[in-house]
Formats: sequence, C-alpha cells, structure tokens
Amino acid sequence: MSRRRVLALFRRVVSEIRRDRPSLALLFIAPIVITGLVTFILRESQAPQVTAVVVNLAGPRGALVGSALGGALDQGGATVSDVADEAAARGAIADATASVGIVIGIDAASGSSLAITVITNGLDPSGEASQVAAVQRAVLAAASSASGAALPVVRHATVYGTPTDDPITTFAPAIVGFFAYFFVYILTGVSFLRERTGGTLERLMATPVTRGEVVLGYTLGFGLFATIQVAVLMLWALGSLHVPALGPLPPFSIGLGVAVNGSPVLAFLVVVLLAVGAVSLGIFLSTFARTELQIIQFIPIVLAPQFLLSGVLFPVSTLPSILRPLVAIMPLNYAVDGLRQVFIRGADLGVAALQLDLAVLAIVAVFFATIAALTIRRDVV
Amino acid sequence: MSQAAPRVAGAEATAAIRALGLAKSFGSLRAVDDVTFDLAPGRIYGLLGPNGSGKTTLIRLLTGLTHPSAGWAEVLGTRMPSRPNLSRIGYMTQADGVYTALTVGENVRFFGAVYGVDGDEPAADALRVVDLADRGGSIVGTLSGGQRRRLSLACALIHRPPVLFLDEPTVGVDPLLRIQFWSHFRALADAGTTIVVSSHVMDEADRCDELLFVRSGKVIARGTGGEIRAQAATADLEQAFLRLGGDVEVTR
Repeated sequence: MSRRRVLALFRRVVSEIRRDRPSLALLFIAPIVITGLVTFILRESQAPQVTAVVVNLAGPRGALVGSALGGALDQGGATVSDVADEAAARGAIADATASVGIVIGIDAASGSSLAITVITNGLDPSGEASQVAAVQRAVLAAASSASGAALPVVRHATVYGTPTDDPITTFAPAIVGFFAYFFVYILTGVSFLRERTGGTLERLMATPVTRGEVVLGYTLGFGLFATIQVAVLMLWALGSLHVPALGPLPPFSIGLGVAVNGSPVLAFLVVVLLAVGAVSLGIFLSTFARTELQIIQFIPIVLAPQFLLSGVLFPVSTLPSILRPLVAIMPLNYAVDGLRQVFIRGADLGVAALQLDLAVLAIVAVFFATIAALTIRRDVV
Repeated sequence: MSQAAPRVAGAEATAAIRALGLAKSFGSLRAVDDVTFDLAPGRIYGLLGPNGSGKTTLIRLLTGLTHPSAGWAEVLGTRMPSRPNLSRIGYMTQADGVYTALTVGENVRFFGAVYGVDGDEPAADALRVVDLADRGGSIVGTLSGGQRRRLSLACALIHRPPVLFLDEPTVGVDPLLRIQFWSHFRALADAGTTIVVSSHVMDEADRCDELLFVRSGKVIARGTGGEIRAQAATADLEQAFLRLGGDVEVTR
C-alpha cells in the first residue's frame, strides 16, 4: 500500500466534494433541517380543538353527567353542543362540523351503570386518539365533581371503520402514495437529467418539437410505467392470495390484504394523478441538478417534508399550527387523504373531500407540467 | 467583421444563411461579437477557430437554439429562432446526442418522427449514407465512438434538410472515416445542401468551399483557402490563422 497514492485519492475526494456546493450544503444542512423538523413536530404537536356533540340516551342521570361532562370539556377549551340522537352526531362528524360525538347511555352489560361512547371520524386514528383522551380527561374531571356516582364506562367508536381496525388499513394508503411518488420522481428526474447532460435534449431542441410536446411525451411515457407500478402496488396492498399448506410448507398469503371500503379504481385514480405530478416534478428539478447524485439530493428537500407533513407518519391534525400552511401545499397530503377517503370511508366521486383531493392533485400535475415545460430551455441557452 | 468576398447583386435574396450584427454575451464575455455574413446555398463553409472562440455559440444562434443579444440570424429567408424552420435544418451536435439504450434504427426513426418523417425508407437511406445499414438492430451503447459519430450524422440527415450545421463532426473520428464523411458532405453540397462545418483541425479546411476564421467571437477573415493564404502571405493555413489573429508567428 502506497501512502502517497492513498493521500492522492483522499485529496481528490476532498477537493471534488468541496467544489460540489449542493452536495456540501445537503451533507450538513439537510440532516439539521430534517431532524429539526421532526423534533419540532414531536415537541409542538398540539391536541386539535375538540368540537363535541353530546347525545343523552340515559334520562335525568345522563343529563346530570352530560352537563358535568360539558362543563369539564368547556374548561378544557372545547366547544360543546347537544344533538338529539346518535345519527345526528355521526352526521355532524361526517360533515366535519364536530370532531367528536359523546353518546351517554346505559351500559348493556351491567344494565345500570352509565356507558359513554366516544365517536370519532376514523380516517385519522392517531390524531383522533387525542380527542378520545380529551373526553376521557373530561369524564374523570366530571366524575370527581359528581362525588358518589359510579364511574361510567368509556368506549370509543368511529363513523368510518372501527377503532380496532387493522392498523395497516390507515397506514397502507399513506405508503402506497408515498412510494409511488418517490420512485416516479427518481426515475423521471434521473432520466431527464441524462437527456440534458447527454446532449440529446440540445439536439431535440434543434428539431421542431415544442417544450409542451416534450413534457407531454415524457408524462405519457413515464406515466405508463407509473400506472403499471401503481396497479402492482394496489394489487399488492389490497390483494390477499392464500396459499394453503403444501407438504412441509406452512400456509401463507401473498399481499397485504388491506380492506378497502371504496372503489379500488378511485384509489388508483388518486395515485396516478399523484404520479403524473411526480413526472413533471422530476423534469422540473432536473434543471437544477448537474449530476444524478444531485437528483438524489433533492429527496431531503422535496420528499422528506412531504413524508413528515402529509400524515404518513404524524397525524396532520396534531401538527404544530405554524406548519399547517405547508401541509396545505403538499401534494402527497391530498393523495394520502384521498386514499384514506376511499379505503376507509368508502368515498365515491360524490364526496366533497375526495373531489377536493382529486382537483388539487390534477391542478398540481398541470402546474408542475407547465413550469417543467418553461424550464426545459433554461440550460439550453 | 467579415471580409466578405464580393457578391453579385441579388445575392442577399438567395443567401441560405445570413447574419447581421449577430452578437451573444454571457455576462461580460462576448461569445459572439458583431458577426455579419451571407452564405450561399449548395456550398460548404468551414467555421475555423480554436476551442472557445465562439463557433458553437455562433451555430446555436444560427439554429435559433439561443437568442441573440444583438443583431439577427436568418436561415432560408426566415428569421431565427423559428421552430417551424427547424424542420429544414439539420444539426449534428458536438456531443453525439443519441440515445445509448436504443438501437441504431430506433434512434434514426425517433429523430425522423420528431422531424415529421415517417416510414422506414428515409431511416434506411440515412443509415446507408453513413455505412450503418447493417447495424440497425445494434444497441447504441455497444457501438464504437466512430460508429456513434456516424449515427449522430444520420440523425441530422434523416429529414434531408437543405441546411446542415455540423459542430466538429470529425472529432474522435479515424482518418479513413474522416475521408468518408467529407465525401458525404461534398455529395450533399453538390445536391444543393448548404453546409456549415465547425472545426479546429486546419487540414480539413481545404475541403471547404470557403472558410470563416473565428477568433474571440469575431469572424476575422473569410475566403477560400487560397485567398486566405494569399491575404496572410503564407502557404500554411495554420500560420495564416495565427497571423490574421495577430499572434506571433510560430516557427516549426
């Protein structure tokens, strides 16, 4: 081993990286920004505002508990109103006019003690857990003020799905959306960068082809693979092929077997729209990259915040309020919500929330396609 | 400023390529500096100059790939940049600019389609011209450097353009292939194609009908090889170039 050669290699690596400003910036800044963001989210996450609707089905005893509970919730900063029955409460939660429903009834098991059922939406289980916890705290506070009364039983119910659903049911939409976005972006970004650096874009620009045609052609080409990828991902997530035991081989199943309440076609549409946006994003960001390494380096900037702020890992409802405007501009957020609407709620095209998600995804796709087209000539000047 | 050879009246109307006060600056660098010329159809023009003298930028201005900072360029009577006019222009870039994961045939057909040329016949013709007819099914990544250069030329010829810009077409090309290339260029010019070839190899200069010496973004001399030699009073084009550029003569 020659010390001189090793030193020469060492020096070459250092000078090369030293001149690659984007690499350098990302090496030091990206980890700080991302860990800072995660810490901020974990520390500053706040219980979302509780808007409760109360239904009393337990007569005067229930009314007593209801008003004590209402008082305790009031003190906790919640808004409380009464509704006539459970259906009305569920309707209010479905419309998002209420975040939690509290049904006071008689416990069927004991026949005498009160039972409180806390109803949440079901689309955002980890976020809703904080709503249930808030009601539980209020129950304890109310119980301590109404001395002598037996503590009621508290149960949790959801408008969509059940609180004990397979956790993958809510997680699967998030990962399907994220990975489709992630891989389509990488594939397009690297591929278009090759077009720029390999001299073919220069040549292409010397033909009568228009920028719009280039972006559309790319979108169709990569859109095809994105569509196949999404189809495979969906089959994998939703499918469950049981293979019975065969000789020494134990039985097993292929696929995640996630239950979907809505149409898989709608879920597919949501992810395809997201993926088309990722194609244009890849083209757009390739303008700012000189090497394939730099395409990878955009991941912490472009994809990591989406991962953190789109409800994939942390519930959007508990994110610090200062981050909310960012959430509103994350395409992945709309895909994850749209997929949850379809998977868990069973939403069809008539549901306003899903319409909004689809519309935003379509607008984002068109927006990035437009700016991608505008940036194509940037380095060809 | 170009020392244009005397032109007959009406030449302006028939010029295939025209530049008037053409300039392009990048910051304080004047890559192309007030260039004016008329190039007649069916001739081969050699754009000669050292690396970094502005040849590629000049070609990019003429093809409309970049907007001039001042002046204008015209190809076949149309002011550049003009996207529709690009279907009448062939451009062989300095980089090969071909898709290495595709086959030879797929590359030619792709550029044919982009230029609006359909069918297998033009593609086969273009490949025949560059002697790649039997390599149509080969993946470009497996070709030698010279074969890629030939494919690159075929992609510039696929639509039979009346005006052809070739940016250092013979770089990395072996002497035999270089001779073949030049005989293709001559045949195309004889058929009426106007060809602008950039090069920094002086021994190619005599194959051109006319030379334009480019130096620091300016055309410092123009004429046939003989005229330029006479102007610089030397038999050696390289020496002529150095003299006309104001350099100290290099003795060998």
